[in-house]
Amino acid sequence: MLRKNRTIMFALVLTFVMILSACGGNTGTNTPAKATNNPEVVNDKGNDSDNANSSDTIDISKEVKLKMIFVGPKPVDYDSVFAQINTKLKEKINATVEGEFLDWSDWAQKYPLKLAANEDFDLIYSANWAGYNDQALKGGFLELTEELLTTYMPQTWAAMSDVSWDQAKVNGKLYMVPQNRGESVEKLILYREDLRTKYNLPEINSPEAYANYLKTIAQNEKGIAPFTPETGDWKYHNLDRVMLKQQKEWNMFDMDLPFAFKLADETGQVFNVYETPEFKDLLVYYKDLADNNAWSKNVLNSKNDHQADFKAGKTASITHNNGTLGSLMTLMLQENSPYEVAIADINEGKKKSIAISTQNGTSIHATSKNVERSLMFVDLMQNDKELHDLMMYGTSGVHYEAIGDDKFKALEKNQNFTGFSNWNFNSPLNRDNEAFPQEVSDLVNSWDASVYHYALETFVFDNSQVKTEIANVGNVMLRYAIPLEYGVIKDIDKGLEELNKQLDSAGLDKIQTELQAQIDAFLANKK
Amino acid sequence: MKGHTLWKDMKNYRVLLLMLAPAVAFFFLFAYIPMAGIIIAFKNYDYAGGVFGSAWNGLNNFRFFFESGDAWRVTRNTALYNIAFIVVNNSLQIFAAIMLFEVGGKWFRKIMQSALFLPYFISWVVVGAIAYNLLNYDIGTVNALLRGFGLQPIDIYNTPSYWPYILVIVSAWKSLGYGTVMYLAAISGIDTEMYEAAEIDGANIFQRIMKVTIPNLYPTIIILVLLAVGNIFRGDFGMFYNMIGNNGLLFSTTDVIDTFVFRSLITSNDIGMSAAAGVFQSVLGFATILTVNYAVRRYDKDRALF
Repeated sequence: MLRKNRTIMFALVLTFVMILSACGGNTGTNTPAKATNNPEVVNDKGNDSDNANSSDTIDISKEVKLKMIFVGPKPVDYDSVFAQINTKLKEKINATVEGEFLDWSDWAQKYPLKLAANEDFDLIYSANWAGYNDQALKGGFLELTEELLTTYMPQTWAAMSDVSWDQAKVNGKLYMVPQNRGESVEKLILYREDLRTKYNLPEINSPEAYANYLKTIAQNEKGIAPFTPETGDWKYHNLDRVMLKQQKEWNMFDMDLPFAFKLADETGQVFNVYETPEFKDLLVYYKDLADNNAWSKNVLNSKNDHQADFKAGKTASITHNNGTLGSLMTLMLQENSPYEVAIADINEGKKKSIAISTQNGTSIHATSKNVERSLMFVDLMQNDKELHDLMMYGTSGVHYEAIGDDKFKALEKNQNFTGFSNWNFNSPLNRDNEAFPQEVSDLVNSWDASVYHYALETFVFDNSQVKTEIANVGNVMLRYAIPLEYGVIKDIDKGLEELNKQLDSAGLDKIQTELQAQIDAFLANKK
Repeated sequence: MKGHTLWKDMKNYRVLLLMLAPAVAFFFLFAYIPMAGIIIAFKNYDYAGGVFGSAWNGLNNFRFFFESGDAWRVTRNTALYNIAFIVVNNSLQIFAAIMLFEVGGKWFRKIMQSALFLPYFISWVVVGAIAYNLLNYDIGTVNALLRGFGLQPIDIYNTPSYWPYILVIVSAWKSLGYGTVMYLAAISGIDTEMYEAAEIDGANIFQRIMKVTIPNLYPTIIILVLLAVGNIFRGDFGMFYNMIGNNGLLFSTTDVIDTFVFRSLITSNDIGMSAAAGVFQSVLGFATILTVNYAVRRYDKDRALF
C-alpha cells in the first residue's frame, strides 16, 4: 500500500511540473506579444517627430517605455505630475517613464534584490550610501563610456565638472551619472534658542558649550530629552561627524569602518580611529554627557524619529546636515511652531568637505534594453528647465510657485510631491525654497572659504578582497563600539581594550593593509 | 496489472488527492524548486552570471561565519532559545487547552480562545514597540510603577541577563492561542466513552486529565515537537530583531544566527555569504531532525514522522 501511494505521489508531482512549465511558457510568450505592439503605435508618432531636438543622428523613431526605480515613498500626486513629464518626454525623445518606489522602511533590503534578481528596469537611483560601489562591482550597473556620454547626454557632459565624474568612478570605470550640484555633507546641531536664552547660557560654539547646554536641559527641563540621535544601523555615535570628523579635521572613508585619515595628510596615512587618544577623550566627553542624562538611557533601543521629536518639542537638539535642518526649520516656521530654534556650528573655521558627487546619482541597469533613451532622459532631467522643475518641484501653481529663476515658494500641496529620491537630478537649475532660513544659507556660504579639497576625494575602496573581514568588523563596531560611545559601558578603559581586541580578531589589520595599499597606489598614480 | 490499480486508486481517491494538490504544489514551488539555489552558498555571486553562471569559490563564503569567533555563541543561543520556546510554549498550550476544555461553558470557552489568540496576529514590530514602552528606563510603565512604590527603577535594556526570560515570556504570550487551538482540537477528538468509563470507575478530574487526556495527546505532542525541532537552528528573526534591535550591549545573551548574519551582511549585501549561513542552519536542522526522529522510532515506531 505504501509503495502504491508513493507512485501516486510521484505521478502527481510530475503532473504539477508539467502544469507549471506550461504556465511558465505562457508568460514567456505573452511578453514579446505585447512588445510587438509597440512599434506600430510608434511609427505614426515617429514620423512627425521632427521636434526631436536632442539630435538628428540618434534614431528615436521607436517609442520606448523607461522604468526607473526611486527610493522613498511614491508621492501622492505621482500620476498627475508624471503624466505631464511623460507628455514632454514623448515630444522630445519619444519615450515615457514609469517610476517604481522603494519605501524608506525597507528599501535597504529591496534595493539590492532588484539588481540581484535582474528585474526588468532601465534606470535606478544610486548613491554612495545606497551601496553604489558594491553594486557596481557586482555588475548591477552598466559601465558608462565617454562615447555613450558624449553621444547621448551632451548637455550633461558639458555641464558636469571633471571632478564629479572622477568621484563617481569605481576602479577607473564610471557607472553613474552623478548629481550636478555640490552640497555640504557636514553635520550641524539644531537646538532650541528659547531654552538657551531662558537659562542664560553662552553661545553654543564649542563642544564644551554644547555639553553645558545639554546638561542644563537635562537638569531643568523634565520631559525633554536633551539630545536624540538618528535611528538606524549607524556604527558611529550620531555626533561623531561633528565631534571627530570636523573637530579633528579627519575624514572616514566609509561610516561602516573604523578608519580615518587626516585631511591635511598628503600621504593619506590611514589609522584606526579607536586607537587614537582623540577618540578616548571623546569617550570621556560622551560618558560625562550620558551620566548627566544628556540622552535617554535606552537610546540604543529607541526608534523615535529625532526630527519629529524635535518638532514636537520632545527633544532639545539633534544633528543633521544643513539642508535637512534648514528644511525642518522652514517647516516649523510655516507651522507657527511655538519654539524658537537655531543652528549651531561648533566647528567654525575648521576644514569643511562637500559631498562627493556620488551622494546622489542615476545608474543604468546592466541589462537595460533602452540605454540610449535612458541617458537622454537623464540629460533632459538635469538640463531641461521645464522637465527639471516638474521632477523636482511638481506642478507649478499646485505644489510650488516659481519665484524668479532660482527660487520657489512651497504651496499647500507641496507635501504631495516630495520625499522620494529625485535628488539625482540636482543641477544648477535647482530652485531654493524662498522660506529657507537665511542664516543657514549664510552659514553654508561662509564655509566656501573653508571647503577643503583633499587628495583622496576621488578615491574609492574596492573591498572585494576583504569582504569577510568587513562583515566581522562591522559587527564588532555595532556590538562593542556603539554601547561604549553612548556611555552605557561603565569602564571606558576596559571597554576600549575589549573593542580593540575584538577588532583585531575580526581581521582589522587585513583591511587596513589592503586599504593602505590601494591608497598608496592611487596617490602614486595621481602624481 | 499495476498500472490498472494505480489508475483505480487515483479514481477512487480523486477527491482526497485533489485536496492534497494545493499543499503539494506549494511545497514543490516554494520548498523543492528553490533548493537548487543552495549552490549560491558556494559561489561568488555576481549579477551577470546569476545563480548558475557565477564563479565557484569553494568554502570561502563560510569563512565569515566561522572566523568571526561568534559562531559557537550564536549557534548555542539559537538552539537554547528554541529548546526553551518548545518546552515552555508547548507546556503552557497543553495546560491552557485542558483548562479550557474542562472549565466553563461554550461561550466562556469561545471568548477565552479568541482572547488568547489575539497576540498571534500582532506583528513583531508592534510587539517591539509595546515592549519598549513597558520596559524602558525613563518613561516605561514598569519603571514608573516601581518609582511609584518608592523602589529603585531597573535598567532592563542595559542588562543582558534579564533578556532570556523576557524573550521566553513574550514568545509564550504570542504563541499561546495558536497552540491552544491545536491541542483543543486534539482533545475534542478523544473518544468520550473513555471519559465516561473513567467516571464510572470513580476517577476524579485530575485522574481523568492525567490518565486519559494527556496520554491521548502524546501523538499530537510528538508530531508538533518533532516539527519544531527541525527548526531548532533557525532563530525567529522578527522576534529577536524587533525586541533587541541594534543594542550591542544585549547581544551576548540574545544574539541568534539570523540576527547575527543580518547584521553582518546588511551593508555588504553579499548573497553568497548569507546563503552559506542558511546552508549551515539547514544542515544542522536536518541532522537534528534525523537524530530525534530516530530516537522516537526506537521508542515507538508508529509515532515517528518517517
